[in-house]
Amino acid sequence: MTMVMDKPAIKGKSKSAQMRKYGFFPGCVAKESCKELFNSTMLLADRLGIELVELTAASCCGASVLNDTNRDVARVLNARTYAQAEALGLDDVITICSTCTGHMRAANKELLEDERHMGQANAILGKFGAKYDGTVKVRHLLWLLADDIGLDELKKMVVRPLNGLKVAPFYGCHIIRPESVNGWESARNPHSLEDLIVALGGEAVDYAGKTRCCGFHVQLEKDGIAANMVGQNMRMAKDQGAEAVLTPCPLCHLALDGYQADAVSRWGRTDLPIFHLPQLVGLALGIDPSTLGMNKHIISPGLVLQEHDLAPAHVA
Amino acid sequence: MAYTLDIFRFDQATDEVPHRDRVEITELPETVTVLDALEHAKAEIDGSITFRRSCRSAICGSCSMNINGTTGLACKTPVAAVLKSDRSIAIDPMPNFQPMKDVVVHMDPFWDKYTRLKPYLQPKDKDSDHATERRVSPEDMHKLVAVANCVMCATCYALCPVVSVDPAFAGPAAIAYAYRFIEDVRDSKRKERAAQISDDYLWLCAHCYACSYCPKHVDPHDDIIAVKRATIEEGLVDEPGPRHALVVAKTVKQTGMLHETEVIQGTVGRFNIKGLLKVAPFGLRLAMAGKIPPLFLKPVPKVDEIRTIFDTLEAPTLS
Ligand code: SF4
Ligand code: SF4
Ligand code: FES
Repeated sequence: MTMVMDKPAIKGKSKSAQMRKYGFFPGCVAKESCKELFNSTMLLADRLGIELVELTAASCCGASVLNDTNRDVARVLNARTYAQAEALGLDDVITICSTCTGHMRAANKELLEDERHMGQANAILGKFGAKYDGTVKVRHLLWLLADDIGLDELKKMVVRPLNGLKVAPFYGCHIIRPESVNGWESARNPHSLEDLIVALGGEAVDYAGKTRCCGFHVQLEKDGIAANMVGQNMRMAKDQGAEAVLTPCPLCHLALDGYQADAVSRWGRTDLPIFHLPQLVGLALGIDPSTLGMNKHIISPGLVLQEHDLAPAHVA
Repeated sequence: MAYTLDIFRFDQATDEVPHRDRVEITELPETVTVLDALEHAKAEIDGSITFRRSCRSAICGSCSMNINGTTGLACKTPVAAVLKSDRSIAIDPMPNFQPMKDVVVHMDPFWDKYTRLKPYLQPKDKDSDHATERRVSPEDMHKLVAVANCVMCATCYALCPVVSVDPAFAGPAAIAYAYRFIEDVRDSKRKERAAQISDDYLWLCAHCYACSYCPKHVDPHDDIIAVKRATIEEGLVDEPGPRHALVVAKTVKQTGMLHETEVIQGTVGRFNIKGLLKVAPFGLRLAMAGKIPPLFLKPVPKVDEIRTIFDTLEAPTLS
């Protein structure tokens, strides 16, 4: 991924003071049960000096489930979202959810690679006067941090280093797999989250569970299935010394935070707090933990943060 | 330069616990495959090392094993590609299977799921147009080409995280094979096949794409989605899985968003008190953390456009 170069210059300001502007697709979960993810993203963007223009009329990306009923629907819904970004002159759509990333990129790939798909989408969009020209790039906030800001720059902005906090990255699935859709980094051996954790002053914990599934998408299918997947992964992280987990996906967050308690009988207590990506970055950049919504977790990060002098005592 | 095979050793007939043996390979270059190195170790160094293989060319599917923690075909993996910095390669049996001897595992659970599908063509009894042959158009055959390349190596099954916690799940290869017959225009058992695979927990697939590491590029995931759609088309909708898919579609059509509260109720069943009680602890935990998804959602601006997309494509939703 390259820097966003083609933004119009803002008159009277130096290049460094220009605000980089991105289309922003928060996704359903960040607007519903994980509002702290939405809020912490906005706070972080402010701190980074970038502007996230929310695509407020966008629809759900399909969340992997719309494909199960009609594969065309998710593709055309996403084409509509991209058309909105294009109409606003934005060519990046930034997501804060791995599932959104994977499914929006898959839809975009199909649209760009098969003119029948693009034709179908535009025929339907045309019914309400919209059109998608195929210029949009879907990227995750993680990729924006690594490519557009750069980890060296980010490191310079750290005012509250994580003091060796042992953080286990949890990539989950849809930000890395399938590689033919994502391919920003190796799906088998990703390291962007590790690099980020280290840049923020933490210690990255390696464990086999980091690229495995959190079970969110099947949590309602069969008793205990998600809890088991969560327990298995968190056990591996804990056994390697993790004190907390970092995830780029709110669905992983919900599953890992919500089901650890159910997994105890088979996998033992793990009690690992699960951070959203912008929360941990925001913390290192000096934003107050409560403002970042760290009090909105089922497994409280309070104790772990206090142990590393990262939060005042009121963050329980 | 020499390298080492660090091999998992276990014999179910004599051993209670496994151990590991390190075998140094000095006479083969790194350009050979992991299977070549294993063959050499067995022939020249320790004849008791046990593994399966037949074709040596990624066709028979028997040499699947864990190589440095990653499952794949030993005959398709060059030594040079997997050498660790200490010039060793860890060789283990496939995960999700019981070891039998060294890297040979009990394959029965994998084959059982496959045979339950009746994996052979079951055409209609009489086909007067084609007494001796049944024709398939190139377009119809095209759908089956990828899955026909499956060599039953079980790599995908070994990598599937759902199988790892629930062996009742059919697993990716079996579902891909269900697709192979469900989509075959000559087959007459579409509904029976859909029902069978549905009973074998088709809807437990978590969409994780771990099966996209298939060494034959079958990549069962998209076939699994197609089989899910076929089960809905066949009216097999009274399960949490299809209900979930249909209620998600319904809420997206209504509001533009996936409405979490309604999706949970619609999936479990609004009047399924027992089911709702089971998800209650999770909901309660969320609520106590101050995470209460909205009971009602305001539709996104221009939601009519979204409804037009659903209507034009005749997408089914929960009624
Ligand atoms: S689908 Fe691929 S990985 Fe799975 S058994 Fe067939 S060839 Fe092996
Ligand atoms: S996509 Fe489904 S079948 Fe494939 S590995 Fe993941 S859970 Fe298993
Ligand atoms: S020996 Fe046949 S697939 Fe490897």
